[in-house]
Amino acid sequence: MTDLILQALFSGVLIGGVYALVALGLALSFGAMRIINLAHGELVLLAAYCAYLVETRTGLDPYAAIPLALLVVAGVSAVLFLMIDRIRQDRELNSLILTYAVGIILTNAILLAFASDVRSTASPTLQDAVTLGSVYAMTGEIIAFGLSLVLMVALWWWLKRSWYGRAVRAVSSNRAAATLMGISPGRTELVAFLVAGALASFAGVALYTMSVIQPALGHALTVKAFVITVLAGVGSIPGVFLGALLLGVTEALTVTLASSALQDLAGMVLFLVVLFLLPNGLFGARARRG
Amino acid sequence: MAPAHRDPRIPAPASGKPWRNAALVGACLVLAALPVLLGASNYLLGLLISALILSGIALAWALLGNLGGMVSFGHAAFFGVGAYASALISARLGVPVLLAIPLAGLCAALSALAMLPTLRLSGPYFALAILAYAQIFRILATEATGLTGGGAGLQRFPGLPTILGLDLGSRTGSYGLLVAMVALSALAYEAIRRSHVGTALRAIAHSEDATRVVGVNSVLLKAWMLLLSAFMTGVFGALNAHIIGFLEPAYAFSGLWSVMPIIAAIFGGYRTVLGPIGGAIVIYLFDQLVAKDLIAVGHQILLGLVLVVMVLIAPNGLLGLLKRRAGGRPHADA
Amino acid sequence: MLTLEAVTVRFGGLVALREVSFGLQAGEILGLVGPNGAGKTTLFNVISGLTRARGTIRFEGRDITALPLHARARAGIGRTFQIPQPMKHLSVRENLTVAQVFGAGRHDPARIEEILDVMELRAQGDRDAEGGLALQELKRLEIAKALATEPRLLLLDEVLAGLESQAKRQFMGKLKELHARFRLTIVIVEHDIETISGLCSRAVVLNFGQVIADATPAEVFRNPLVVESYTGTADA
Repeated sequence: MTDLILQALFSGVLIGGVYALVALGLALSFGAMRIINLAHGELVLLAAYCAYLVETRTGLDPYAAIPLALLVVAGVSAVLFLMIDRIRQDRELNSLILTYAVGIILTNAILLAFASDVRSTASPTLQDAVTLGSVYAMTGEIIAFGLSLVLMVALWWWLKRSWYGRAVRAVSSNRAAATLMGISPGRTELVAFLVAGALASFAGVALYTMSVIQPALGHALTVKAFVITVLAGVGSIPGVFLGALLLGVTEALTVTLASSALQDLAGMVLFLVVLFLLPNGLFGARARRG
Repeated sequence: MAPAHRDPRIPAPASGKPWRNAALVGACLVLAALPVLLGASNYLLGLLISALILSGIALAWALLGNLGGMVSFGHAAFFGVGAYASALISARLGVPVLLAIPLAGLCAALSALAMLPTLRLSGPYFALAILAYAQIFRILATEATGLTGGGAGLQRFPGLPTILGLDLGSRTGSYGLLVAMVALSALAYEAIRRSHVGTALRAIAHSEDATRVVGVNSVLLKAWMLLLSAFMTGVFGALNAHIIGFLEPAYAFSGLWSVMPIIAAIFGGYRTVLGPIGGAIVIYLFDQLVAKDLIAVGHQILLGLVLVVMVLIAPNGLLGLLKRRAGGRPHADA
Repeated sequence: MLTLEAVTVRFGGLVALREVSFGLQAGEILGLVGPNGAGKTTLFNVISGLTRARGTIRFEGRDITALPLHARARAGIGRTFQIPQPMKHLSVRENLTVAQVFGAGRHDPARIEEILDVMELRAQGDRDAEGGLALQELKRLEIAKALATEPRLLLLDEVLAGLESQAKRQFMGKLKELHARFRLTIVIVEHDIETISGLCSRAVVLNFGQVIADATPAEVFRNPLVVESYTGTADA
């Protein structure tokens, strides 16, 4: 039993790394534009299907699909951004509905292109089991987790150090003041959106190497990403990371101790508990009350 | 000082032209009676019944969005609760169906009580929190096999009864009942919109603090709108259940019951009363008769496209677009 | 009728109000004086329920410290904002109707017309409250809205700012009329010594969030502590 629980904790942490990438993309575009991109999970899924396509068509490793995924997701993100940018009236509400609609389009487009079957990587290398003491993992899971860590550090560095990163933070905290300082909000928002798309690309490919994908998954990913941002409280990268790990572990423990049918319920209940009891999220922060 | 342009989102007070409203209501009734008078086939009536169910939910969704200022991505929760509540109340407790339906609406409103903490959240967070609730409800319904029959479904519950010689369970009877229910909902909506509560809600949407400081309990008013919207949706969920005669969680709590009303209301114009109703009928018939024919699996991609186009070109919906044309307002700000 | 006991407000590390205590008699017109940033508006926010504070606030013998914003209005506290906050996209008349129905708990169209007349807003009654009014009209609407909630305590935040001296004297007369006609107790934030002296029976001076004087206007403005804190702003 202890072994099972340890195993669940371990697997939960590993999937949590990918969840963190998904949530960071959502949080980044929200931070920069004050807009929740409800198609974000679908963007992740789009990247995952790019990996599937490359693997089945060329026989290459799924990670070889990253350039393609970046290209496709960045393209869709750019189109999405241009559409959001056109909204003049009730920006918050209409952008929500717009991205939701784009999510519907993407889900159904994926359904049309790849059918509703469940897909997963066929790579024997990625599916190799690695044993660490009493717990084990697939190589794919370890690589995906490592990739997530690297990307998170890179994102943290980018937001902290680069000009664009600082511009993104400036625009998200005070749009008018940033404009006065010569930062173009439109361009910064586009950059933030594209970086969110890049995160989604990596997350999608990583997801494909360690888990199963199907067209309806995109929506669920968006919800997970949202749950994580609520857990984290808006703001910090470490907060999102810890929130994602918590969600991953909670889901894995539920599957081990109860049933896999309740997996999604566990995350939701966690979400509600935080919503009711800790209105500012687990890790402090502010800014989601009306 | 700039001339006071009316915000195009705010419907102009219609009180000045009662004859126009009467004519509008009359035209709607004639339109509603037309399929029966022309002897439409059971197939077509069946389609229209489903479209009217959707009209009811779209109206409930728009009430929350327009009056309460809240976008919900989880109305499937209320629809499902209403459907199961009515089926179970009538089958297990032997309550007459026509009484079970409003009780089911109350159950849906009760389930919305669990969502009240989300009212503290601002726009996008509220929308997503409701979405999370809908997921929880679906999982719970699937797992509570003792109550809902789980994935195997539930089909032993009564259909609509015969009242005064009119068999409500027949296609024509159901159609008539739904026209009446949609009309009733529209009247209730309009009555609230014109009341002081409606004015206060309009004020809250644009200047919440200024409205609270004169004594308006904004959270309470929004809560009432959420409960009312849930009630209406639950009632239409219940009606649909008794007409279809079969329930399973994947159907009753399907995400489609969240998606379709949004598309319908946005398409028709969610800041109007007639918009969501007409929008639902057009969108449903388009989906069933045109989209399904073109693309068998994944036909909702077309609905997604419609939604994108509407938000970009006509965020006030078709009705808003027509009104602007007719009113000849030169200051279109979209 | 109103008692503040040790009211303290902190914004992060900044203390906006420190242990503020004073009482208010029914029917009084109290001037609230102090340099910019002294905490006058914060004090209004605390009394009207917009800002949470430590300490105790009693209104007509009842502890209202925990009452939310809307309930304070219903309890009988009306206020205006320095920068007018009308209910946008509602007409002037609708603004008053909402205030009356929800703030006073009754609907009395005749009284709304009366308030419109008193505040000289009848001609603007059907105009949009946001786009259709000049600044001084918006300021009168602020008072009209507060009056529509049928308050017993009215908090006025710099309602005379921006008026010429002639118009200011007229408006002071108007405030005295409102005070008598609606049986109000008034707290008014004002910089102008002449206005305070002409209007108020008592003045409370705030500086850096603390009460530094509480006496008749004449006494207050002779107080060296007040003069020191106030130099430069008093004549402005």
